Amino acid sequence: MSEPEPVEPGRRFEAVVFGWSGTAVADPAEDAGRLRKLVEELCAHGLDLYLVTGARLPEVDGRLQARPVGPGRLYLCVDEGSEVHRVGVDGTRLVHRRTATPAEEAALDRAARVTVDALARRDVPAAVVPRLNRRAIDLAPGTEEPAAAVRKRLRASGRLSLYGIVELATDAALRAGLPDPRVTSDGRYVQIGLTDRADAARWVLDDLRRRGIAPRLVLFAGAAFGRIRGVPGADAPLLVPEASRSVAVSVGAEPAGVPAGVTVLGGGPARFLALLADQLERRRRGDVPDVDDTPDWTLTVDGLDPDLERVHETLLAIADGRLGTRGTPLLAHPATDPGVRAAGVYARTGADSELAGCPDWTTLPGTVSDPTLLRRRLDLRTGVLRQDGPVAALQFSSLARPATVVLRAEGPPGRLPGTDRYTLPGPFAAALSDLCRDGRLDRLGGYAPDEADARAARATAEELGFDRLLAEHRAAWAARWDAADVVVLDGDPELQLAIRFALFHMMASVADEGEAAVGARGLVGGGYRGHVFWDSDVFVLPFLAATHPAAARAMLEYRIRRLDAARAGALRRGNRGARFPWESAVDGFDVTPSFGRLPSGEIARIRTGEAEEHITADVAWAASCYLDWTGDTEFAEGPGRELVLETARYWASRIRLDSEGRGHIYGVIGPDEYHEPVDDNTFTNVMARWNLKRAAALDGAEGACWRRLADALVDGFDPMSRLYEQFAGFFDLEPLLIADVAPRRPIAAELLLGVPRTRASQVVKQPDVLMLHHLVPDEMAPDSLGANLDFYEPRTAHGSSLSPAVHASLLARAGRFRDALAALRIAARIDLDDISGSTASGLHVATMGGLWQALVFGFAGVRPRGDTLVVDPRIPPQWGGLQIRLRFRGKPFVLRIDHQSVELDAAGALALTRRDGHWEVHAP
Amino acid sequence: MTRVLAAIDNSLAASPVLAIARALAPLLDSDVEVLHLVENGDRMATQAALAAGLTLTSRRGPVIKSIIEAGRCADVAVLVVGARGTPAGPRPLGGTALAVATGLPKPIVVVPPDAHITGVIRRVLVPVEGAPAGTAPILDVVEDAELDMIVLHVYEEDSLPAFTDQPQHWQETWAREFVRRYCPWHTGPLRLETRVGRAEDLIPRVAEEVNADIIALGWTLDLGPGRAPTVRGVLDRSRRPVLLVPVAIGHPY
Repeated sequence: MSEPEPVEPGRRFEAVVFGWSGTAVADPAEDAGRLRKLVEELCAHGLDLYLVTGARLPEVDGRLQARPVGPGRLYLCVDEGSEVHRVGVDGTRLVHRRTATPAEEAALDRAARVTVDALARRDVPAAVVPRLNRRAIDLAPGTEEPAAAVRKRLRASGRLSLYGIVELATDAALRAGLPDPRVTSDGRYVQIGLTDRADAARWVLDDLRRRGIAPRLVLFAGAAFGRIRGVPGADAPLLVPEASRSVAVSVGAEPAGVPAGVTVLGGGPARFLALLADQLERRRRGDVPDVDDTPDWTLTVDGLDPDLERVHETLLAIADGRLGTRGTPLLAHPATDPGVRAAGVYARTGADSELAGCPDWTTLPGTVSDPTLLRRRLDLRTGVLRQDGPVAALQFSSLARPATVVLRAEGPPGRLPGTDRYTLPGPFAAALSDLCRDGRLDRLGGYAPDEADARAARATAEELGFDRLLAEHRAAWAARWDAADVVVLDGDPELQLAIRFALFHMMASVADEGEAAVGARGLVGGGYRGHVFWDSDVFVLPFLAATHPAAARAMLEYRIRRLDAARAGALRRGNRGARFPWESAVDGFDVTPSFGRLPSGEIARIRTGEAEEHITADVAWAASCYLDWTGDTEFAEGPGRELVLETARYWASRIRLDSEGRGHIYGVIGPDEYHEPVDDNTFTNVMARWNLKRAAALDGAEGACWRRLADALVDGFDPMSRLYEQFAGFFDLEPLLIADVAPRRPIAAELLLGVPRTRASQVVKQPDVLMLHHLVPDEMAPDSLGANLDFYEPRTAHGSSLSPAVHASLLARAGRFRDALAALRIAARIDLDDISGSTASGLHVATMGGLWQALVFGFAGVRPRGDTLVVDPRIPPQWGGLQIRLRFRGKPFVLRIDHQSVELDAAGALALTRRDGHWEVHAP
Repeated sequence: MTRVLAAIDNSLAASPVLAIARALAPLLDSDVEVLHLVENGDRMATQAALAAGLTLTSRRGPVIKSIIEAGRCADVAVLVVGARGTPAGPRPLGGTALAVATGLPKPIVVVPPDAHITGVIRRVLVPVEGAPAGTAPILDVVEDAELDMIVLHVYEEDSLPAFTDQPQHWQETWAREFVRRYCPWHTGPLRLETRVGRAEDLIPRVAEEVNADIIALGWTLDLGPGRAPTVRGVLDRSRRPVLLVPVAIGHPY
C-alpha cells in the first residue's frame, strides 16, 4: 500500500475525536495493535483522544486494549452517547452514564414494538435487540447479512427503503412519548435511542472546555459523515453546532458527499493512522501549539507600531498572580519596553519604592527586521500568548504553578539560542533551561526570591515537560473562567471582548496564596510604582470574593500583615486603633509622595497621604465584602474581627463631638480629590459610621460607645431635598455644572478650570456621595439615589479612571440605560483605547473591577444580604440579558437573566426564590 | 563650507541678529555672512557688523526679493533675520521678516529686537504637541551637537487629558510615554515641561522661565488666516530667537 499523502490541515491539534468502525479499524475483528501503540504514545505526548462509537465497551476496549499513562487522556464514548469511560493504566473507569427513567424504557419498548409490527405488515422481517438507552431493530435477524447486503435487499424488494424505515421508527418513537428520539442506522440495524453520537460530541466538547481546549483546537475524524441512501451517516451526529469551529475530516469514501465543513481525505483506517502518526511526529519534534482565535476571547495585534507598542505590550501581558510579563516581541526592537515584575517585590523604600524589575525570560537572539510580519495573539481563555513572525512561539506564565514560565518557539537557524541552563540573578531570580534542536526551542523556568528555589522550580518544570505544563495551565484557566465569566447576551461583541479582557487581567494579577499586594497598575508595568491604594480593596477584591475567594483572602492577608504598621500610623497621629496608609508598598507604612509635579508644571504638595483617610474604612469594607460572599467563619472570628475592631477604634478616636453632641471628622479628603482638605466629607463619615456599627456588633465592651458615636456622626443629609451635602459648605460653592462647560467628559477639570476655581466650585472629580450609594446602599436614605444622581452626575468631571464604572452601575440601578451604557463603554475601553495616555505603564486594574461591579451590582443587581443573594436586575433593552458565573458561600452557580426572568443553575446546591419584586439565591 | 546668512537692517535690531548668527555658526560648522539691503543708509548696520567682528555686504535692490534670493543659495544653511525694527511688547512680525519666513523654504531664525543673547546656543526649547514622531526641528539643522533640550508640551483645551487619577503618579507615567513616543530623537538627557493653556502664550513664557537660548519650531511656511496660530503667536510674543524649520504638512505648530 502506498504511503498516504501528507495530511491537511497540517497543524498540531490538542484533541482528536474519532470513530471506530470504518475510521480507526476497517474490521472490528482486525488486530488493532498499531492503533493501540499510536494511541498510547500520543497520550504520553499529551494529546487527548476520544473514541466515539455505537458499539459497547467490551467490543471496543477488548479490541483496542490501550492502557495510556498520560498526561493525555483516552476516553471511550460508547453505546451511542450513553456512556463515557476513561481509560488508564489500570483499565477503564465509567465517568458518565445517561440513565433512562422507567417511563423512557417503556417508551423505547413501545416504539420498537410498533416499528417491528409495521415492518412485519410490509413483509420486512425484523427483531428488537435491547441496548443501553436504545432498542436496535435488527433488519436481518438470525443472519450474518452485512449492512450493504441488507440495504440492497430492501431496495430490490421495493417494499420499504432504509430511509423509510428510519422515518417509520422516528414516528413510532414520537408517538410512544419520546420527545427527542435519536434514530440512527448503519444499514443493518435501525436504532431508536435516548442518545446518539451528538450527545457524545457535546460531552467531549464540554470536557475539553473544562480543560481549556477550545473547539478550534479539536480534530474530528470519521468515515461516514455524508448520507447513505438518504440516511445520515453514522458519524454525522458528531457535527454538533458547538463543533462548528473544529476541523472535521473523513477517511471514508463518502459517495454522496459530505456536509459543509468536512474535508474528505479518503484512505480509510490507514489514512487515519497516518493522521495520528503525523500528530505524534508534531508533538515529538515540538511544534508550537495553535491558539483559538474566537473574536470574543482573543486580543490580536498585527505588526509593530512604534508609537503604540508600549500600550500593546501592556494589553498583551501575561501573568499568574505572582509574576507578570509584558507582551513584548521575542526579538528586539527599539520601540519595545520588555519587563517582568513580581508581586510585592519592590526596589527602594518609601515614596521612591517601586516594583522591581526581574530578569526577562522572553528574549531570543536577533531583531525584528520586518515588523509587518509580526502577529501577537493573547488567548484570554487560556492565558497564552502566541507570536508569529520570523519566529513562531507560544508562551505562558503558569496559573497552575505561579512563577513557572514556559516558552516554545520554532524558527530558522540563528533565531534560536543553543541548549543551555542558566540562572539570572535579581530581586526575583530566574532559573531557565533552553532545550533547542532542529529549529525548535523549549524554554522552561522558575522564578523565586532565592536562586536555589528558582532552580528547584525549573527542575520541576523540566520534569513535567511542556505538554503537561500546558495542560495544567489551561485547566487552571478553564476553572477560573468557569467561576467568573460574564456574558452579555445578544450584546455587543466589542463589549464582550472588553469584559473578558478585564476579567482576565484581574484574575492574572492576584495570587491566591499567602499575601497579594495588588498595585494600581497591576503586574505588567511600572506605573504608580506598584503602590497599593483603595483601588484594590474596593474595586478589585469584590470580584475575587465572588468568584475566587482564595485570592480575595490573599488581598486581605496583605492588609492584615500590616496591621501593626497601621496601628503605628494611628499612634503617630495621636489616635487609637489602626489607620491604613493611602499608598502602601512593602511594609505598610505610608509611601505617598509629599510633593508632585502637576501637568500644569507646578510642584504641588500632595496631601492625600495626610488626609485621605477613608481608606481605613474601605479596608474594613473589603473584609466584610469577603465575608458576605464567603461566610468564612475562621476569618470572621480571627483576623477579620481584629481588622474591623481596630479600624473602628481609629474612627472612634478620630471623631470630634461638638457642644450639641454631633460627631465630626475634620480635615479629610474624600474620593473627590478636587476639594482638599474638607470637614465632614460625607463619604468618610458614612463609611466611618458603617465601620463603627459593624464593629459594634462584634464587641460588647466598646460597642455601645461606638454605636453612640456612629449615631452622632453627621452625614450631610437633607430630608427635604433627599440630597447629601458632599462636605460641610459644599452647597455654598459655585454651582458649576461641568457637563455645561467642559468640551467633553471625562476630563481633568482641574486643568480645564484651574485648581483654584475647581476647588471653589461644585465640580467633583469622581463619585463621592454617589460612591456610598454604590458601596453601602443600605446606609443611605431610602429613595435618595435619584435625587443625588440628578445633582452630582452633571457635576462630575470623571477626572479619575475609577469614575465611569461607578456611574454606569448607579445609572443602571436608576434605569437610565442610555447614560449607563455610555459610561460602561468608557470604563470598558480605558486601556484598550489608552484613554488615559498611560496604559503603556500598566493596566487600570481597579477600573476593570469597577466594570465587573457595574455589570453584576449595577445591571444584574446582585448583592449579598445576610445568608442570601438578592438579584434585582436592570437589563437595558439593547441587551438580551446577562449570564454571570459566581460563587456564594462556597457554591458555584450560573445566573441567566433576561428581561422577564432569572434562572439559576447550581446543581441543586442553591435555590432561587421570587420575593417582593426581586429574586433571592439561598441555600435549598 | 556652509554659511549662516544674517540679513540685517539699519537699526539697533541688527546686533542681536548678528549675535545669534555668530552663536549658530560653530554648531553648523559654518561661516557667517552679513547682508544689508540699503534703504536709508547703512551706518548702524556697518557699526553692528564691525562690533560683531563680521564683514558687511551692502546691496541695493528690493529687500524681500533680494534676501530670499540670497537665502536660496545652496551653501546657505540657515537665514537669520530680525523680527521687527523696534521692541515694545508683543507685536506682529514685521513685514520683511514675515515675507522672508514664508517665502524661503529653509531654516530661518527670527530674532526679536530685544532678544537676550548670550553668544552661545546651549539650551533649546522644543515645543512638542504630540503628533506622530518626527525629528526635533533643531536636529534637522544641527546634528551631533550637545544641546540641552527642553521639551515643552502645552495641554490645550482639546488635548486636556481625560483622567489624572493620582496626578503625582499619572504625570510621571504619562510623561515617560510621551517622551518615548514623541521624542525618539533624543539621545541624551531630556527634560519635559508641561503647561496648561494656550501654546502661543505659554511657549514664550516658558522660554523665559527656563532661560532658553532659542526656541525651535517646525512649521509649514503658511501663516495665512487661521493657519499656524501657535507659530504666529510665538513669533509675535517671544523675546527669544525662534528657529523655524520647514516640515511636512501635518506637523504640529
